[in-house]
Amino acid sequence: MATLVLALTLTGCTGGGERREVIVTGSTTLLPITEVSGEMYTESHDGIAILVSGMGSSAGIESVSKGSSDIGTSSRELKDAELDLGLEDTPVAYDAIAVIVHPDNPVSDLTTLEVRSIFAGVITNWSEVGGPDLPIGLVNRDEASGTREAFSKIIMDDAQFDHGAVVLPGTGQVRSVIADVRGAIGYISLGFVTDDVKAVAIDGVEPSEATVVSGDYPVQRVLHFFTKDDLSDIARDYIEYVLSPDVQDTIVRDAGFIPITAKEAIGD
Amino acid sequence: MTEPEQTGRGRVNGGLKMMSRATYIREALLKNLFLLCAIVAVAAVALIFVFTTARGWEVVKDPGLAAFLGGTEWSSTLGRFGILPLVVGTLAITLGSLVLGAPLAIGTAVFLSEIASPRMRSIVRPAVEMLAGVPSVVYGFFGLVILRPIAAELTGGMGFGTLTASVILAVMIVPTIATLTEDALGSVPPGIREASYAMGATTWQTIYKVLLPAAKIGIIDATILGMGRAIGETMAVVMVAGNAPQFFKGLGAPIATLTSQIVIDMSYATGTHKTALFGLAIILFLISMGLVALVRALSRLNAKKA
Repeated sequence: MATLVLALTLTGCTGGGERREVIVTGSTTLLPITEVSGEMYTESHDGIAILVSGMGSSAGIESVSKGSSDIGTSSRELKDAELDLGLEDTPVAYDAIAVIVHPDNPVSDLTTLEVRSIFAGVITNWSEVGGPDLPIGLVNRDEASGTREAFSKIIMDDAQFDHGAVVLPGTGQVRSVIADVRGAIGYISLGFVTDDVKAVAIDGVEPSEATVVSGDYPVQRVLHFFTKDDLSDIARDYIEYVLSPDVQDTIVRDAGFIPITAKEAIGD
Repeated sequence: MTEPEQTGRGRVNGGLKMMSRATYIREALLKNLFLLCAIVAVAAVALIFVFTTARGWEVVKDPGLAAFLGGTEWSSTLGRFGILPLVVGTLAITLGSLVLGAPLAIGTAVFLSEIASPRMRSIVRPAVEMLAGVPSVVYGFFGLVILRPIAAELTGGMGFGTLTASVILAVMIVPTIATLTEDALGSVPPGIREASYAMGATTWQTIYKVLLPAAKIGIIDATILGMGRAIGETMAVVMVAGNAPQFFKGLGAPIATLTSQIVIDMSYATGTHKTALFGLAIILFLISMGLVALVRALSRLNAKKA
């Protein structure tokens, strides 16, 4: 802080001064990318701070459009009402949403329609989809979640979620509950899937990098950085850093996401 | 640190007129300082009420008072903000916690006040007081990790819902009810107790027939305040209730309360949805005002009787 004040004094603080930080707010799904790349960036760029927080995609979009953060991260597209906020979209990674069940659950393949019926509360027992006679325990995300938004758009197709589903406010909580309850089903980003839970195939396609890139796995989405056009130079530089092969092939892939460059590579 | 000494001398001198000017000013300043403290506390309550009301009163226009108070569905995506499922959820969890927690707390208080040896009391009382100091997120975490699987076994669901939330809240309200009940038992005149024993009553008869009836209003007070704590508790409830805004469907089914819905929705609510959340806050405020008024009325009744 002292050096910042000193630097501002020495340069005469013209034109609003140069901030030595980038504020990144938004989706919890993107946290593994933004946190790790932020730390690496700080280390390699003379201590420029990348301040990361995860409050949900909607909060990120609201925050960047109001100017209280430099970058709003989002795991969903802009809604109609958000289109005229003047936000610039930079896709940073692909992600698949995996439908997960308890590892002991023998069901390992569901159709889109079955998943929709389960989450709408129409199918309530695993025996209806070829499993044991066990009630289905629905686990949903809160409505601030970009994952819920994307899942709703791709799978639910305007059908309403069952009101009786347990609502949990975080990816990690969904995973730990499903790892613990035999009849439970939920959905989380593919990057968060561990051996504690089992990701089921949708319409016969397992979620993986290959099936996402080929477009065969249906429940996939693009992860975004949203910015305004008065972006600071260091924020712009940080975004370029995130898009560089260095970050895309290491941090993004390690976090279980698919590099934004992967599809272009196929296209070539 | 010299103030208490000064006040002492003032008293020795007997009255304000004998004080030096410096002491007089200090006394006046202190009096006003305490007045200021009281004003700040009152102003805080008033400001919170004014603020929530200002932000929330528009629920009478949109979605409309009838749709808000009488609506049976809370769904922000559909723009429906009916609070009945949340009110029922709050009532169910609060009732459950009172059924489990109040007897436990009153039993603890009777034990501390009438049965425990001083040594025993010196162990149990701090332990009970410590329950009040445990952060609610710790209760919630305990409930999520330890109680939820047990509740899942018992009810056949996932363990999120009324049962788990009620058990957690029951433990959380024990210190409130136990401490106040113990005070109520302690303020029963010793003569009544001695008379009962002198008539040949056993300890149990004395407690059941004499002490509990004599301390009845104090115990009801304690229970009402415990109820207020249960209604207002948020963090622990969010973690174990399952947060599904549906009507009560059994002890093992997920449920949402007035407070948990505010927490779940507040990070992204805008427009009517945000107004409706402030509307929930007003309802909570009114409930807690009602409970405080009830306690005041009861203690006035008690004072009149005594």
